[in-house]
Amino acid sequence: MRSDVWLVIVGMAAATYLTRAPMLLALARRPLPPRVRLWLRLVPLAVLPALAVPLVLVRDGRLALGWTNPALWGAVVVFVLAARRVNLLLSVAIAVGLVALLRALA
Amino acid sequence: MTARPAAGAARPGADSVRDGFVGSLALVPSVFVYGTVFGGLAAQTGLTAAQVLGMSVLVFAGASQFVAVPMLAAGAPAVAIVVTTYVVNMRHYLMAATLAPAFRGYPRRWLALIAHVINDESFAVAVARSRPPDAKVYLGSAAAISGAFIAGVAVGVALGGLVERPERYGLDFAFPAVFLALVAVQLRRRADWLVAIGAAVLAVTLALILPGNWHIVVAGLVVSLLAASVLPVDAADEGDEECA
Repeated sequence: MRSDVWLVIVGMAAATYLTRAPMLLALARRPLPPRVRLWLRLVPLAVLPALAVPLVLVRDGRLALGWTNPALWGAVVVFVLAARRVNLLLSVAIAVGLVALLRALA
Repeated sequence: MTARPAAGAARPGADSVRDGFVGSLALVPSVFVYGTVFGGLAAQTGLTAAQVLGMSVLVFAGASQFVAVPMLAAGAPAVAIVVTTYVVNMRHYLMAATLAPAFRGYPRRWLALIAHVINDESFAVAVARSRPPDAKVYLGSAAAISGAFIAGVAVGVALGGLVERPERYGLDFAFPAVFLALVAVQLRRRADWLVAIGAAVLAVTLALILPGNWHIVVAGLVVSLLAASVLPVDAADEGDEECA
């Protein structure tokens, strides 16, 4: 493992504290402006797919859209299960199991 | 959780700390398992037990920790990991702003500590019980949730070190799977779908051309800012209670 792990951890801690402390310490009297609230609500909706979808579809710098990509099937399954309000960890476990199975069969 | 009238349900005094703690026990098993999964997967990437536990105590924000671990393992630049963590955790501003009025009169040095235990589950528990949320209920819940998470991570680290060749069991896929599940439960309006799909398409495109995992932050910020500036603002009031 790389040598700057603790540096990254401390940086992550500082960045996260910066998202938690200011509003609480300021004891904000007024709620945030509506458009800012809307933006903050949309950020996770944009960041999470931006994170997950390339992990599934990009392999070694190339697009892996084929049906032989096990992660693609796993992604479809976990998304559908979670959208149907199946328990989050159960959805993940089923998808992980499917990916393992498809890799074993390949 | 027991259903209670939303307004004025929280009693003042030490009792409400216990109310928050007991009211969060239903969430403890899943937070514990979530921590276990994180600890196990992080240990498998080669992080030491101290690093995994240290991250969990110092950062204490599960989703962003799930984000950081595969980036660390893939050799992403430190700055990219820290900025991505910040963006993933920006939802805390919403929670802190909603909690702030409940903590009026608390000494500032306590607030500086209390800020660190702001978390999705305790926020949901406190807001479900009363509006505005009760500070003591919130603190009781945070004690239960943080204890469950850290304990889960510790167990996960111990178990995770035992698994060799995690990709054989599809365990590397657990990272994107967790993110996709978190998105799926948040998609309510048509605009939500457009934001998610737009960010995914932009991120894949950028991932093919940009080095160092910057596609996450760039796609996430560009698409959310664009959507927030064109969508009608009345959509903002709903849904702020449960941001994963």
